[in-house]
Amino acid sequence: MSQQQLHSQVAPQFWSHFKSALCETDMFKEVHQSIDELHHNLSAYWLSLERLTIVQSYVSEPMFDHAVYRETLASRLQLLVKAIIFSCTRKHFQDAMYHFYFQAFKAFNESRKENECDDDTPPRCDGCDNEKDLCSCDETLTVFQQVNSQLKELDLLAWLSGEPVTSLIHQRIKQHVEHSCQSNFEVPYLFTLEEWLETKVVGWLELMYCEVRHGGASEGARGSVAPYKDRLYYFLHDIYARTRIQQLFNIIIEFPESEPALTDLKCCLEKTNLRGMLVQALRTALETRLLHPGVNTCDILTAYISAIRALRVLDPTGVLLDLVCEPVRKYLRNRDDTVRSIVSSLIEDSNSELLDELVKTQPGPLDDSYTSDDQTDNWQIWQPDPVDAIPVKSASSVRRSADIISMLVNIYGSKEVFVNEYRTLLADRILTHYNYDTARELRYLELLKLRFGETQLHACEVMLKDVADSKRLNTRIREQWEQETGDEKAIAVNAMVLSAQFWPTFREEKVTLPDELQTSLDAYTDKYKVLKGNRTLCWKPHLGLVNLEIELKDKTLKLSVSPVHATILWHFQQKARWTVDELSGVTHMPAHALRRKIAFWQSHGLLKEESSDSFLLMEEQPGHGGHDLLLEDDEAESAMASSKDQKEEEMQVIWSYVVGMLTNLESLPLDRVHSMLKMFAMQGPGSECTIDDLKVFLDRKVKEQVLIYSGGFYRLPKQNS
Amino acid sequence: MKTRLFRVNVNYEFIGQSFLSHVLVGHCSNRLYEATATRQFKLQKELMSLMMSGNKGISAFPDGDNLFRWIATIQGAESTVYEGLKYRLMLEFPSGYPYVPPTVKFTTPCYHPNVDQHGNICLDILKEKWSALYDVRTILLSIQSLLAEPNNDSPLNTHAANLWENQTLYKKVLLEKYEKEARSKDNV
Repeated sequence: MSQQQLHSQVAPQFWSHFKSALCETDMFKEVHQSIDELHHNLSAYWLSLERLTIVQSYVSEPMFDHAVYRETLASRLQLLVKAIIFSCTRKHFQDAMYHFYFQAFKAFNESRKENECDDDTPPRCDGCDNEKDLCSCDETLTVFQQVNSQLKELDLLAWLSGEPVTSLIHQRIKQHVEHSCQSNFEVPYLFTLEEWLETKVVGWLELMYCEVRHGGASEGARGSVAPYKDRLYYFLHDIYARTRIQQLFNIIIEFPESEPALTDLKCCLEKTNLRGMLVQALRTALETRLLHPGVNTCDILTAYISAIRALRVLDPTGVLLDLVCEPVRKYLRNRDDTVRSIVSSLIEDSNSELLDELVKTQPGPLDDSYTSDDQTDNWQIWQPDPVDAIPVKSASSVRRSADIISMLVNIYGSKEVFVNEYRTLLADRILTHYNYDTARELRYLELLKLRFGETQLHACEVMLKDVADSKRLNTRIREQWEQETGDEKAIAVNAMVLSAQFWPTFREEKVTLPDELQTSLDAYTDKYKVLKGNRTLCWKPHLGLVNLEIELKDKTLKLSVSPVHATILWHFQQKARWTVDELSGVTHMPAHALRRKIAFWQSHGLLKEESSDSFLLMEEQPGHGGHDLLLEDDEAESAMASSKDQKEEEMQVIWSYVVGMLTNLESLPLDRVHSMLKMFAMQGPGSECTIDDLKVFLDRKVKEQVLIYSGGFYRLPKQNS
Repeated sequence: MKTRLFRVNVNYEFIGQSFLSHVLVGHCSNRLYEATATRQFKLQKELMSLMMSGNKGISAFPDGDNLFRWIATIQGAESTVYEGLKYRLMLEFPSGYPYVPPTVKFTTPCYHPNVDQHGNICLDILKEKWSALYDVRTILLSIQSLLAEPNNDSPLNTHAANLWENQTLYKKVLLEKYEKEARSKDNV
């Protein structure tokens, strides 16, 4: 009888509340009503059940263990209810339940908020979207408690509300975390978040499970909520860590300010299992946001440096750093100007970050894998590397101790490249300034020596010594000059005498200086010969700085220009009109180079292109005022051969080795060519050539038809057959 | 050890030499090591200068991984009977090198008054007139010029020595032999 009634009356009545999609305000009401009715209907059963048990206890013989029997009766009834009424849950019902709890949660939050701060009252109540005065939160909460207690009585609480509540809480946590730590990395959030979880969420749960309001939950309630609590905390940490991991790139970029966020994240990482995800996410972020051609090398370097610092906070062992920054290192290795950027930021004033690092830290020599004693000293606090450490080469001690500069240097795996680049840069600085003042450079050199070792920087030391020597020499020769002749007409020459072996390759340029200048240079050479026994000077006429005083009709210009520029202008003293070909004949410079240099004078308004390739000296010019102009040669051209030229030259050397090899050994496969080159040719610093580079190079030669490639072997084409 | 060694700006020669002697003196403690190091050092340098010199008609390179055995190629100088012919040689550098001359042999059969049928060469600078100042380049140049100007006073191949006077006939015999022996063997 009861089964049928359940089936035909109670269930349809219950479900009639959830026939169709409900609007939000109705949901709450409907849930309340339906549960109320259900409770009412079912209480009748419970009542009769109770009676039945009492009757049974009187009637039945001791053959029944009636306690057990009653238990079975109750559970059978429950089973029936569940089976008949909730055999098919409907979508709308779930939505309604969800919304019901959502509303209740909001109301609860609101009530707590009111308790906390009364003075800050918004015009509308957030809990129920009503005017403050008409706030229905309390009402909502009462209904909420009533429904919960009814469900509990029916023993349906976990059954019906478990899922909606869990998903609601998860969603609320997620929202709250995302909302509260949008993009502010400078405040630690973890503590406030935990507090929020404790007061709001856990409090609400306690309220739900046992009709206690405003704190003071009974022991039983705490007990029933406790298992949830750990899971909720885990969930909070997990969500928070995920949010921070998504923002990690920005956190790194803003590093020193964003340290609180990192500390939070570190704390969360210890409790969750997200290291792998962090590595993946950050790598992807780096690759999409940093490692593409649109980013300047120095920006990549800055990011890399702050990544090093930031990840050190996160993981002092440096394993994370190793894993995450592998693509960055790889990418930087492929950029042409990486070394130059690093070295220049090391020694230039503008970027003080690395310079500070250089001055501040005083490490031992680079990448010497020595086993230090301190490791054994504090063995008690020793920690093994995390499991995801790359189990290669670098021992943990190296990883832990490496500072930023050595990390940068180790991008390339060798310091030779750096020392070479530094040498070039140093040469450039000396030769663009021509001011013989080496105190500052010496200081850096000493600092670098601490890192790279004496022998590596020997050449640079000689370079600086050359400068100092030149200075003395110049003074000496000038004195002599004045004593002997006092010739006013001769051009004053200051020379920079360089020991060729220690200086990097110079950019080559051919130019014949005007006779007057050349005479002065020759005179200088003679004096030098007298002073230095049987040594002589070999001039690099295109390098240098000429101070010019140009007297025009209405004004005087003072300029410091390169000798080539000076030479061109010098020739205009003789006649006012020159063609490029004529000039090229006098200066022995190629026409295209000349045109480029003439453009400099054109931009100063001194020369004018009359017809194509024919230039006229402008004595007067409109536009410029008649005052003296002090102009600098803005065409900053490196005195050193560019790295591309050097590479080309290196490849030329390699080519002659390859020719020699193949002439004598007939034909060789690529890897043999490479290994032989490595053994015999590539020993100088910086002359590293990977097998891929070599293949590209050789394939180019094959295209130029000076090499034949067949069956995996390279050989030279036969010359006479 | 790169190309920049070869550009002289302001008397680097002086500094360069002082460095070389430093290397030689530096390893006196271990004689064997010194010998090997010197030999290796010198051979590396020689290879480098040979590669960079770009001499026409002579060339040499270490045979495989062994720096102490080289294969060399000599082409007959222009306007001599050997013009257009190509010969392979083998150079072996003993441990005493450069104080002891290397062993030099033709591996391509060579019809020449001062070369025997096994390829041995009779050349004074490879024997009693050897000096540590010679190097691979000078040896190969000497052999190249020996081809055109044989020393007929002490021939190893009397047949060739006798025939030398008659250059036309000599050339005919030489080319016949070269075709028969060298081309088939070496495929050059």
